[in-house]
Amino acid sequence: MAEVILNQVGKTYPNGYQAIPAIDLHIADGEFIVLVGPSGCGKSTLLRMVAGLESISSGELLINNQRMNEKEPAERDIAMVFQNYALYPHMTVFDNMAYGLRNRGASKDEIQRKVSDSARLLGLTDLLERKPKQLSGGQRQRVAMGRAMVRHPQAFLFDEPLSNLDAKLRVQMRVEIRQLQRQLGTTTLYVTHDQVEAMTLADRLVVLNKGHAEQIGSPLELYERPATTFVAEFIGSPSMNLLPVSITDQGLQLTEQVSLQADTKERGAVIWGIRPEHLQPCSESEADFALQVKAVEALGAESLIYGHTAGRSELLVVRAPGPFTPAIDQMLYLRAPQQQWHLFDINTQQRI
Amino acid sequence: MTVTFPQRPLPWLLLLPQLLVTAIFFLWPAGQAVKQAFYQEDAFGLSSEFVGLENFSHLLHDPLYYASIGTTLFFSFAVAFVGIALALLLAVMADRVMRGQIIYKTLLIWPYAVAPALAGVLWWVMFDPSTGPIAVWLKSMGINWNHFLNGNQAMTLVVIAATWKQISYNFLFFLAGLQAIPRSLIEAAAIDGASPFKRFWTVVFPLLSPTTFFLLVVNLVYAFFDTFGIIDATTSGGPGQSTKILVYKVYDDGFIGLDLGSSSAQSVILMMIVGVMTVIQFRYIERKVQY
Repeated sequence: MAEVILNQVGKTYPNGYQAIPAIDLHIADGEFIVLVGPSGCGKSTLLRMVAGLESISSGELLINNQRMNEKEPAERDIAMVFQNYALYPHMTVFDNMAYGLRNRGASKDEIQRKVSDSARLLGLTDLLERKPKQLSGGQRQRVAMGRAMVRHPQAFLFDEPLSNLDAKLRVQMRVEIRQLQRQLGTTTLYVTHDQVEAMTLADRLVVLNKGHAEQIGSPLELYERPATTFVAEFIGSPSMNLLPVSITDQGLQLTEQVSLQADTKERGAVIWGIRPEHLQPCSESEADFALQVKAVEALGAESLIYGHTAGRSELLVVRAPGPFTPAIDQMLYLRAPQQQWHLFDINTQQRI
Repeated sequence: MTVTFPQRPLPWLLLLPQLLVTAIFFLWPAGQAVKQAFYQEDAFGLSSEFVGLENFSHLLHDPLYYASIGTTLFFSFAVAFVGIALALLLAVMADRVMRGQIIYKTLLIWPYAVAPALAGVLWWVMFDPSTGPIAVWLKSMGINWNHFLNGNQAMTLVVIAATWKQISYNFLFFLAGLQAIPRSLIEAAAIDGASPFKRFWTVVFPLLSPTTFFLLVVNLVYAFFDTFGIIDATTSGGPGQSTKILVYKVYDDGFIGLDLGSSSAQSVILMMIVGVMTVIQFRYIERKVQY
């Protein structure tokens, strides 16, 4: 167990492509950090640099206060769980888990004890003699975890470990991973493109976009105060409503006819953001503006209503609790409380 | 899925060319050989006499025949082993090359396109005791190379020539096998603390074992039956009996020695060996070698 520190870590490929300009990240001992972002944002590259599977082009990586840039993967004392599990297909579950211990010259007794401890923790005891081919997806996933934890490494690295599982199993394994990590207290770096997975697992999230860390913070911090429009759109499902508007002395000009009262010194063009659940259906007299309903998704616990406001082409989303099914093309009157607004600079996309 | 044809003759008509080729070029000569194996023919081919199993019993009491079996086994396993080992080495190295991999692959595949007799001539020229560059170089190193006189050197030469031609084939299979191994397995092993050498022997090589076994059978079959041209062009089975493998002996006894009966009996035995090897190939490759 250890701190993992990334100082201005960057990656430039030999062909000149700069995947990651420079990232600073300080992972505390025992912390669960999730790297999240769309595909191609550099999150796997960053993870692989920490693992030692990609070289670090610039900056410095410290694990337990030791510089790791030039160390081989094996010398970094980390364990990695791969997306396709990467179990050795010709070895039994026991041998898969024992492989790392054997390579490090552990004694027979020690291997036996450690493997059976981990197997018990993961409910794999009855499967130790099986080959990976004879296991289900969830079991393989557990073996991959077992192989990682059996050595008690300084840090766990997860590379989209749940993306090959079906939806139900994914939720179950997500909970298991979180519990195990808490129980073992091992520093963890976890890569995913799934924002729900990211929100539920992370102590802190790193949202990556084109190799930049857009924002680093706890899931709720990111949800409540997204630093950029990218984070605002990426975190939360459905995404935050974002509209380019202008603020004048009359207030926030949603359309030519509709303006909302705005207690801000900000003037000029901005991007106005509001989360779907913060748009509240109300009576016509209380309403800030109206939406012409275009589609309704009733999910039981909540309903998602999509529509246009007169004079704008963007589709807005409203999340209303419980079953709520307004008719298509009906006008839906909405309130947009000012304390729930997010304003972003139209050029830099940064939060104002 | 079965396809049914409305008329009876059409499927037969469609099969006819292939059936004719098989009958004329395979079944008929093979039948002739089996028949000949029970007859004794005089040296001029004027008369033949039914002798039953006498050709076979002669063979099985002939020390030269056993010597040829020994030579064949040594030759075949040497070709298979050297060919597989070198091809694996080359494939592992080519697999690591990032830039220009196609050039390496193409160059390594070329020898396969060379006809066996030409491959034989090529090495014969290289190793010619008086003018061959390799032979001359060996002499300068103090090794007196003359495969016309030295049986072991002759065997070395035919093994080199036969292996050289087969390496391309093995290389292709190994390269495909290596590229089919997920990169993440090797990375997992690296993180698990295995050195590159250990990674190869505990992860890569076991995963290649189906390929290796397949190639072993294919290479043995190749060395047994497909190396006539190479032997003929380099040593003609000599000196003495030292490179006279079974297929070469069939030819030598039949067409040089004009003992067609014995030659046919040897062919029949070879046919049986081919049969056994084919069964092994089909039956065990799919099932036995798994992980």
